[in-house]
Amino acid sequence: MEREKVLELKQVIGKKLNRPMLYYLDLCTRCGLCYDTCHVYQGIPKKEYSPVGRAEVVRRVFRKYFKPAGKFFPWWGDAHEFDENLMEELREAAFSCTGCRRCTMFCPFGIDMPYILGIAKELLIAYGNAPEELVMLADSAVEKGKSIDMFKEGFRGVIKDLEQEVQKLIGASSSDGLIPMDKKGANILFVGLSGAHSIIYPAAIFNAAKEDWTLSYFEAVNFGYFAGDSEKSNFIANRIINEAKALGVKEIVIVECGTAYRIPKFLMGPLPFKVSSIVEVIYRYIKEGRIKIKQGIVSEPVTWHDPCQLGRNGGIYEQPREILQIMANDYREMNPNCEYNWCCGGGGGLVALDNEEFRIKSGKPKKEQIEKSGATMVVTACENCHLQLSTISQGYNMGVKVESLTKLVGENLII
Amino acid sequence: MLGYLSYFILIPMVYIAFATLIFGLIYKFYIIWKAPAPAGTGAIFPKKGSKVSGLIYDAMLVPMAYTKQKGFWFIIMFFHIAFFFLFLGHLELIADFKFIQIIPHRIFLGGGLVGIILMLATLYFLFRRFGTPYREISIPEDFVILLVLFFCILFGSILHLAERYSDWGAVLRVDANVYRNWLQSLIWFKPQLSYTITELSHFTILVLHVLFANIFLMMFPFSKMIHSVFTFLAHYRKRN
Repeated sequence: MEREKVLELKQVIGKKLNRPMLYYLDLCTRCGLCYDTCHVYQGIPKKEYSPVGRAEVVRRVFRKYFKPAGKFFPWWGDAHEFDENLMEELREAAFSCTGCRRCTMFCPFGIDMPYILGIAKELLIAYGNAPEELVMLADSAVEKGKSIDMFKEGFRGVIKDLEQEVQKLIGASSSDGLIPMDKKGANILFVGLSGAHSIIYPAAIFNAAKEDWTLSYFEAVNFGYFAGDSEKSNFIANRIINEAKALGVKEIVIVECGTAYRIPKFLMGPLPFKVSSIVEVIYRYIKEGRIKIKQGIVSEPVTWHDPCQLGRNGGIYEQPREILQIMANDYREMNPNCEYNWCCGGGGGLVALDNEEFRIKSGKPKKEQIEKSGATMVVTACENCHLQLSTISQGYNMGVKVESLTKLVGENLII
Repeated sequence: MLGYLSYFILIPMVYIAFATLIFGLIYKFYIIWKAPAPAGTGAIFPKKGSKVSGLIYDAMLVPMAYTKQKGFWFIIMFFHIAFFFLFLGHLELIADFKFIQIIPHRIFLGGGLVGIILMLATLYFLFRRFGTPYREISIPEDFVILLVLFFCILFGSILHLAERYSDWGAVLRVDANVYRNWLQSLIWFKPQLSYTITELSHFTILVLHVLFANIFLMMFPFSKMIHSVFTFLAHYRKRN
């Protein structure tokens, strides 16, 4: 590799060396306790898909360029310089990880392996080897953020059509104003996705609860984060944060998207408003008696899949279970669940990539969990999980129905 | 020549080792303190227990190791507890500490068992690395550290066990004061190596023990041994 490129890549690593990164890179003893905690390794038992195997690829270059021993005695720490093979290994490591952090939970030292892979992703961007799909989607989100005024009129037109769908769901006399936009001082700024379903059902719930809310012009998903581009990731997140600040809302509510929830909630530092998931808001409305849902409407055996970013990385465990248990006649738990839950394999932007065969294989532990539960319907609250669970169901001919919690609630409101 | 080498290992190298350990640790913490802090948190839920009690629980009792591999957890715990006892034993080689003598004993609690536990645990850690999948993730550093530690404990145990149990105890038996004079002279920066040490029948074993201990201490801040301090930072972030 050319010297200039190596220097550039070294600088990329240097920029990522913040406090946690420094101790995460240093403290692994390679005890191997994380080895089989990854769903990908369970499906494809190769060292490259073990958490420690992935992190070691990053550590090898880190040692080479940032440790005296790596420079002078590379054999000591298996230090390795940048080359084509190593870049390929970095890509394999970074984009086979969903960032579910199951390995972090099992690590006896608390090392955040996906955090380390942030270096790999940033290196791939600098090298021009990051997945094109994610980079393009991130670029398009950034572009939308820069010139939002151009998009506003067209978006309002689309929303007008969606209001009629909401009207049908809640039986309102008119569709006007069912999806408010640009509403200053509203209690809630709701951030959806590009799909209509991500707006219609939450809108029905907000209207049923008589909430003072407004819809964001932006989609919640952060492809900059999935691609591993810190700059774009911050820009994409800040579009929503700035919109919320400009409107003066008290709370932003994130659609069923785990990463979109985790970023403003836990990764952006203190914000002048509350950040909630739509799941928490539905739960709140039910508890406050603001909405009522049909009891026992789901007759088939149903189970809940904890999206990693809502559960293990977000602390939302009980709320969706309680909501689902109201609607379900035969609710079943998967085992293991909650913080020990197996990732479905769709997070980290992996569902946006052309890797279906890989995802079916890596979804093996989830498939086995669902089968053992005996459920014929899996409910979740994350778009990536929803897509991946459907892929698993089809890939293994399971015939399991996958549903979104918000959709189930939205369809079964008692008005 | 051997005399000079022994002197170097028992006096200047001990200073070099401790200086490397102390300044190495300070340097490592300085680098981390100087680095930018990220805006967010790295929390994992549920956060059981308070921040402090939870942190101590996670870092000292490694509950996740127990969940994953119970047998391995027991060996880890025996190893680390034995290491703590070994530390106390070496403190007693420097001076009397009443808090250690709550249970009256001859120097080195455990009558040699501590060293044996450590040796067996170290050998287990070493041979574990030859099996799949641990062999694939191991790097030379992992083996070297374990070998250094093993030899350090082996020679230390020979010193202790021979002194305590050998038929030639009369020849080998060493008064703790012999070590105290040498170690205290190091602490007060008036190093001396009296003939009571150099004429010991097991002087070579002592030199080897100290050599491996010195190497271990020097490697500590710059190797994976740093996990013993950095684990608290990582667990703190997980609970923050």
